[in-house]
Amino acid sequence: MPLATAQPLLLFEQASKWYGSVLALNQVTLELTGGITGLVGANGAGKSTLLRLATGQLRPTLGRVSVRGTDAWDWRARRLVGYCPDADAFYEDMTGRAFVLVMARLCGYDRREAHRRTEAVLTRVGMADRADRRIAGYSKGMRQRIKLAQALLHDPALLVLDEPLSGIDPIGRQELLELFQELAAQGKCLLISSHELEALEKLTNHVVIMARGRVAAVGTLPQIRELLNDHPVSVRIDVDVAREVARRLLDNPDVLGVEVVQGADGPGLVVKARNPKRFFPAVGRVLIEEHAEVRRLEPLDESAHAILGYLLGGSGRT
Amino acid sequence: MAADADSDSSFILHPSSFRGPSPLVGFFVLVGHSFQRHWRVRQMGWVSFGLLGLTVAWVAAVTLSAAGWRLEDRRNRRVGATYRDYAEQLRPTARYETMGADLKAAARLQSYPPTTPTTRLTHPVETPTPLDPTADALRSLMLSVPAAVLGSEKFRHEWAFTHFVGVVPLGAFVGFVLPLFTLAFASGALGTERESRSLVWLLTRPLPRAAIYVATFLGALPWCLLFGVGGFAALCLAGGALGREAFAAFWPAAAGGTVAFAALFHLIGATVRRPVVVGLVYVFFFEALVALLPGSLKLLSLSFYTRSLIYNEAIDAGYPAAMLEVPEAVSAATAWVVPAAATVALLALGAWRFGRTEFRDDT
Repeated sequence: MPLATAQPLLLFEQASKWYGSVLALNQVTLELTGGITGLVGANGAGKSTLLRLATGQLRPTLGRVSVRGTDAWDWRARRLVGYCPDADAFYEDMTGRAFVLVMARLCGYDRREAHRRTEAVLTRVGMADRADRRIAGYSKGMRQRIKLAQALLHDPALLVLDEPLSGIDPIGRQELLELFQELAAQGKCLLISSHELEALEKLTNHVVIMARGRVAAVGTLPQIRELLNDHPVSVRIDVDVAREVARRLLDNPDVLGVEVVQGADGPGLVVKARNPKRFFPAVGRVLIEEHAEVRRLEPLDESAHAILGYLLGGSGRT
Repeated sequence: MAADADSDSSFILHPSSFRGPSPLVGFFVLVGHSFQRHWRVRQMGWVSFGLLGLTVAWVAAVTLSAAGWRLEDRRNRRVGATYRDYAEQLRPTARYETMGADLKAAARLQSYPPTTPTTRLTHPVETPTPLDPTADALRSLMLSVPAAVLGSEKFRHEWAFTHFVGVVPLGAFVGFVLPLFTLAFASGALGTERESRSLVWLLTRPLPRAAIYVATFLGALPWCLLFGVGGFAALCLAGGALGREAFAAFWPAAAGGTVAFAALFHLIGATVRRPVVVGLVYVFFFEALVALLPGSLKLLSLSFYTRSLIYNEAIDAGYPAAMLEVPEAVSAATAWVVPAAATVALLALGAWRFGRTEFRDDT
């Protein structure tokens, strides 16, 4: 195998970024080799800074960011990277097709090749029949698609997408999610930041969680869960004998709190407890002993939202 | 949508038709792209047009006035007559006639003050002294010089031309129109991309950053030249025959100055967030003031070299140096080499700096 492909596609080595006296990214080490990676974090957590470092828009103050061994700041690295920025600034007077064509030409393709690639990516993002209108008249979703189209033009191995799903309607979102999965299936590496955590969860199991400029956790959601075994879990249990069950559960030392709620079809409980490995068998015993009729048993915080909220403490707004 | 596309592993790469991208193609495409983006005249462009219009109107008004740019028909306020009339009044015949009229007036003292007032008070030196013929002859000789000089077509043309050059090409154009137009177009090459936050599209292309800097400069340069030299042409055409002669002689200097100013304002546009403000401060404080100061500080001003070029061209065309007000002008060779070197140096500095600068305008 040639050396070039043996190197990770995207590598952050102890990369830190200061904006004046503000530390935006703090000693981030990260390695991506393929597949889809979700990047989640609160506003100001350093997501965009990380993506800009990966695409050579910024240079790390300390450490190194490289794409297949080439410094990400080097223009040659950009041959391997497609970037869909968060900022919504276009040449508004251009049509979508003209814009993508210019971007293709600026990539260095001759006229014929640029036309061919433009049509290919416009078809790919579902804009081929709508690309002859001026960008100024586009909806948010159409703008996102055009941004995505230009990122795909040079068939990059790494796609860095900053909030690609924002402003896209549910049908369009599903289409884009399918597109991302197809691209990943073709062997491309996608790094996607999003506030749409549910959408990301559908898309990928591999998540990078950022908090206050640091990578707080990397891995699959269950792995992250494993790391956070002490993290309290919340469970919704809808039972007919809610008060009795609640009383019994409060005697359990792992239970931190119980709240009786009134659901649409009867009473229920929201139980907050730590150490799920001990807690869940205990719940089972109580329910059997109370002869409770369970209508619903649902963990409330399996989503990245909850993990994020836990990791970020008080500032965990997502 | 995605389902419509090829689902195999290469929706773009067809090995048979694939041609590798070339940064050189990207560079030239960017030159063209930058040029096209500039046809949209921005606010600063309209301001420049307006100011050029006013300046052209003023030049045309002077050209069409009775005196035009010529000396002989200009009125001398102190004397209260045109230079041609004054020179006539200084000739011996006229002075003796004036003396005769004064004597007649003196003889009619009873009717004092004289019924026909004289247009001006005669200077004692102008009074003929027939009783001292040697002094009178010398005096007549001296006082005949202005009329003799004004009688020379060569002198009259030289005066009119150098006067026009001093006011229009050296004054209004180099001091005002040239920097303003170049600022309006060159500072926008990267400045508008930054303002509209569209620079990210260029910076994410696989192109060296230095190439982006140089390509956007080359894209804006034709506009700078068009409006710089075009503005010069408009000013000169408003000056009639003198203007046509001036344009034919000095347009290379105007073009050279435009290129050097464009390199400077391109650098400013890429460096600061408010390039127009910084550029205007530079034009009206540094260029306007420093270029007029005695001493070597003006060697730092770009307009000084354009003025020197114009000066040298005029000298080469046979006009007298004393009539042109370009103090301490440098030689033509220096006046070409320094702005050319400055252009290259400013471009290199800008490209180097642009290659190291992070743009966070959208944050």
